[in-house]
Amino acid sequence: MSPAIFFQLIVNGLFTGGIYALVSIGLTLIYGVMVIVNFAHGEFLMLGIYIAFFANTLYGIDPYLAIPLALILIAGLGALIQRGLVQRVLDAHPLNQIVLLVGVSTLLVGLVQFFFTAEPRSIHVPYETEVIVLMGLRFSIARLIAFFASMGISLALYLFLRHTKTGKAIRAVSQSRDAAALMGINVKSIYTLTFGIGTGVTAVAGVLLAPNHIMIPTMGQAYSVIAFVVVVLGTMGNFVGAFLGGLIIGVVETFAGFFLGGDVKIIASMLIFIVILLFRPSGLFGRKRT
Amino acid sequence: MSTEISSKPAVRPVRNLWHNLFGDWDRTQITVSFILVGLMAASPLFVRSPYYMGIIILAALYAFIGISWNIVAGFTGQLLIAQIIFLALGGYTTIVLLNRFNVSPWVGIFIGGIVAACAGIIIAMITLRYGLKLDYFALFTIALLVALRTLFLKWDFVGGAVGMYLRLAQPSAAKMIFATKPPYLYIVLALLVFGIVVQYLIYSSKMGKYFIAIREDESAAAALGVNTSRYKTLAVITGATLAGIGGGFYVMYVTFIDPTGLFNLGVNVEMVMAGPIIGGLGSLAGPILGALVNKPIAELIRGFLIEERSGITLIVYGFFLTASILFMPRGLAGVFQTLYLKLKRPSKDSV
Repeated sequence: MSPAIFFQLIVNGLFTGGIYALVSIGLTLIYGVMVIVNFAHGEFLMLGIYIAFFANTLYGIDPYLAIPLALILIAGLGALIQRGLVQRVLDAHPLNQIVLLVGVSTLLVGLVQFFFTAEPRSIHVPYETEVIVLMGLRFSIARLIAFFASMGISLALYLFLRHTKTGKAIRAVSQSRDAAALMGINVKSIYTLTFGIGTGVTAVAGVLLAPNHIMIPTMGQAYSVIAFVVVVLGTMGNFVGAFLGGLIIGVVETFAGFFLGGDVKIIASMLIFIVILLFRPSGLFGRKRT
Repeated sequence: MSTEISSKPAVRPVRNLWHNLFGDWDRTQITVSFILVGLMAASPLFVRSPYYMGIIILAALYAFIGISWNIVAGFTGQLLIAQIIFLALGGYTTIVLLNRFNVSPWVGIFIGGIVAACAGIIIAMITLRYGLKLDYFALFTIALLVALRTLFLKWDFVGGAVGMYLRLAQPSAAKMIFATKPPYLYIVLALLVFGIVVQYLIYSSKMGKYFIAIREDESAAAALGVNTSRYKTLAVITGATLAGIGGGFYVMYVTFIDPTGLFNLGVNVEMVMAGPIIGGLGSLAGPILGALVNKPIAELIRGFLIEERSGITLIVYGFFLTASILFMPRGLAGVFQTLYLKLKRPSKDSV
């Protein structure tokens, strides 16, 4: 393999990984605060990409300008789902939590399929095939924008969690729900807010995918699975871990796709996943869990 | 006079029979299960349409598969979400044995069960060896499902992405190929009776008590000397075997198998999870009650729609799952149990 191909694969991997990072940050944030695995996570990405599609085909809005729209709509939907459904099973047996979220996921896929049909759709933007060539490496414009947008949003979310009062409250709840409640933090609204943020950023990842991705209602499942891999790799509940894990899995997948072929690249992630689960379930950044 | 004398001894057997059948909630559940099986067995007498017959067959199959999941998830509370792995393995084994090696499905189905059981042993050993529990266990099974799907898509010996069709020869009882539906119905009902009996035997044995102790509080069970690893493994193996057998029958009935159709979480919701969740996970009659509600209702709604819309079944199942968890976490069986206890209380006072 020539160095040119090697670096090109790294670039492509990071571009893919940027999206994975954003999706996984949402999942890990929800897990960190509520200790619940959002089995419906990929469906929020799917909703995001459909929002971009309809904004584009109905109103001619550039998909990237649909980011705020998707963020607000899906964060609102996520908050509603948390308040109406997830909140009620937080103390239930984990099996009930999973079944509920699997139900939500099935419901969302079904609704999208029912109203918008299962037909594959795609968006066409004028710049979709344009590339910048820099030092022999090719950067697709659309994916470059997507990459920097996902980096920017991740950074913004990180700063929000670090430095604002609300962000600190979210981190406090994830450290100890009871202690946070005793300090006067409204744990219930923090839950709702976190679920909203987590699903909202995932929808944004969907929007970022829109210009170069075929969309079908069942596409979310694959992203759920990838996000599971990433958050376990980067330690469940660890924000930076999910971010780095996303980039790592993106690169690994791209290399696997190059060597094994696109349709079996998922095997590489699954092997990493299984190995991590078995030998280091606390992930790359984790302390031993009790 | 004579009638009075003869009626007195006659009352007692009736009361005894009544007590044997409905004396407590467990017996009632078993009795109700067998009444439902009996009704399904009698259904060819009054159901003529092959379409409705097909719904009854699938409902019975879903009940059987539901029992297989109930033993793992309902009794021991293990988050084996992707139970459909075992079903797919059993199905693949059966059809590969028939198509490639000409092994009769009457044998193949049970070999499928054994293959699924082996997969169950491997999964249980690996996950227990490395202490994977709860969410991590659930994620592990899902990862396995995705990995197996990719593997089967690429594995030409078992048909690759196209999958495998039953070579539709002449109908022959030896190869479990029938021209009409009733033979399939009686095969699946035989499986269902087998499932009900196995489930009850486990439930009423010491092993069943250990299973439930593990579900309620695993560390407490371990502290009391229950070998939790052993019983969790046993539960997985039993569930896997039953699911594998069910998968074998499923393939013979629908005459077709492919990786994306069965290694599929959406299908997993429909075939495995919905029944026990609606009916009541962990109860004896739950999988049957649930399967008899969910399959016909999903089909009815699909039938009522003038325009064929693909999403409707998913909406129905999604609604069933979320609504059951929120409004009746113990399922239909839980609702009926409350009713049963209310009805029973007065008679208890008199005794």
